[in-house]
Amino acid sequence: MREVAILGVGMHPFGAYYSGKTNAEMSLVAGLAALDDAGLTFADVNAAYMGHIFAQVMSGTRILKEFGLTGIPVQRIENASATGSAALREAYLSVSAGHYDVAMVLGFDKMTSMIQSGTAGTAPENLEDAILPAAFFAMWATRRMHERGTKPEHLARIAAKNFNNGALNPMAQRQAKERITAEKVLSSGMVAWPLTKMMSCPIGDGAACAIVGTVEMAKKLRPGRPVVKIAASTLQSERYERGHIFQGPVVGPARMSIDSSNAVYEQAGVGPRDLDLLQVHDAFAIEELEYYELVGLCRPGEAEKHIEEGAFEIGGSLCAVSTDGGLIARGHPGGPTGLAQIWETTLQLRGEADRRQVRRKSGDLPRLGMCHMMGGGSVCVIHILQRV
Amino acid sequence: MPETPRPRQPIKPGFFTVPDDPAQPPKLLGTRCEDCGEFFYPRRALCGKCMSRRTVEVELDARGTLYSYTFVHLPLFGSTNMEHADGYGVGQIDLPEGPRVQAPLAGKQPEFQVGQTVQGELDVLRDDGGTDIMIIRFRPLGEARP
Ligand SMILES: [Zn+2]
Repeated sequence: MREVAILGVGMHPFGAYYSGKTNAEMSLVAGLAALDDAGLTFADVNAAYMGHIFAQVMSGTRILKEFGLTGIPVQRIENASATGSAALREAYLSVSAGHYDVAMVLGFDKMTSMIQSGTAGTAPENLEDAILPAAFFAMWATRRMHERGTKPEHLARIAAKNFNNGALNPMAQRQAKERITAEKVLSSGMVAWPLTKMMSCPIGDGAACAIVGTVEMAKKLRPGRPVVKIAASTLQSERYERGHIFQGPVVGPARMSIDSSNAVYEQAGVGPRDLDLLQVHDAFAIEELEYYELVGLCRPGEAEKHIEEGAFEIGGSLCAVSTDGGLIARGHPGGPTGLAQIWETTLQLRGEADRRQVRRKSGDLPRLGMCHMMGGGSVCVIHILQRV
Repeated sequence: MPETPRPRQPIKPGFFTVPDDPAQPPKLLGTRCEDCGEFFYPRRALCGKCMSRRTVEVELDARGTLYSYTFVHLPLFGSTNMEHADGYGVGQIDLPEGPRVQAPLAGKQPEFQVGQTVQGELDVLRDDGGTDIMIIRFRPLGEARP
């Protein structure tokens, strides 16, 4: 098994364009940025993994032709929100096993065109499709409020943090003009009680890319730049336990995040307290609150106290979470979302995150970052990136 | 002369019954594993716990305990029922046999309470050429508990 590094990352800003750029145009921007960042050209790429949810079949293969026709293998990977993360894992596995030296992972989607083409994907004959995704997550929040005394203010503080982080990220879809307060989040209009609009991620478009290769190659291509390696990777589906909900597979069992994070910690030989930053699937603010505990940043029932202390903010006492704005502010077009997390974590570990740069208490650059994604409530994909 | 009852059809067959007598409550259509005894909703071919192929179809009483709920502030998708226009409740209901069911709730938000007993009832989603398309909704039984 070879050690695998992120050689380069690139993004097209996420946003709600509706009629603007095509998937191919956004993908070229993200892909060429990642190649430039790696110090490579498309001729150096040995294999490509394309992540898209809403685009037509073969879209990934067709879009890759815009880069060049070099005969390399191209595969589509799809796993709902975790599409980009799952594609990265395939690239990691293939480079690690020695099949390829350089693999390109490209995620793209135009969620807005999906919405424009009507309510595609919501078939009324499926009762669960008639229920808004927000409702499933809202029920997670209601149960938490019942069991732990969580208040809507705690959810609002998470969303406000993510909006304020997103304002420091030029790739983020929601760019707040002023500092966002919990009060503003609470008054932003109810979607599914207790979740408000600003506690929910927006619909959008975008593309993101990562170039994966060996650690030796990373050192040669960009001498002097910190090398970011993939220290651990896991993809898990659900295990049955009583109380499992078989309809509306959106939230998924909490157990999946516990098991998956334990697996990557063991692989990487680290624990949750070693993490300097964490990106999670915060499509709704309640998710981020739950994941603080499920991935072990704090003990069950303690998230609220730490939220009140600002422990998950950039510069906070426990771990900086959703530093790029998360799904709530950076946006969540689908295919590229998991790769946007990799973009952010790579920049952070290299010290290139500009005004949102995370630093350790010593003032040093962060060393370990984790990227957690849920896909359709049915898979959990986690990667740990490490500066070496 | 009594009015002829309008024909009623479930939104999707195989999930719940629509009794001929409108006064009768619907039943949920589930599965029981003959090897490990686990119950499932909705129906499935293999046991989700032990993977046994020895499964049987069962009817379950649409009555249970509200595990969690929300109230969605948007019209119910695909519905022309005016009662759904200003939002709708959604709940997770634990049946006594074990399955947790996710379904719309009948009633307004202040009527829901975690832990209360809820009863499934049929509700018209829309009129489809003279046939009523039915969904199942769960209604709080009695007053919400404090
Ligand atoms: Zn069984």
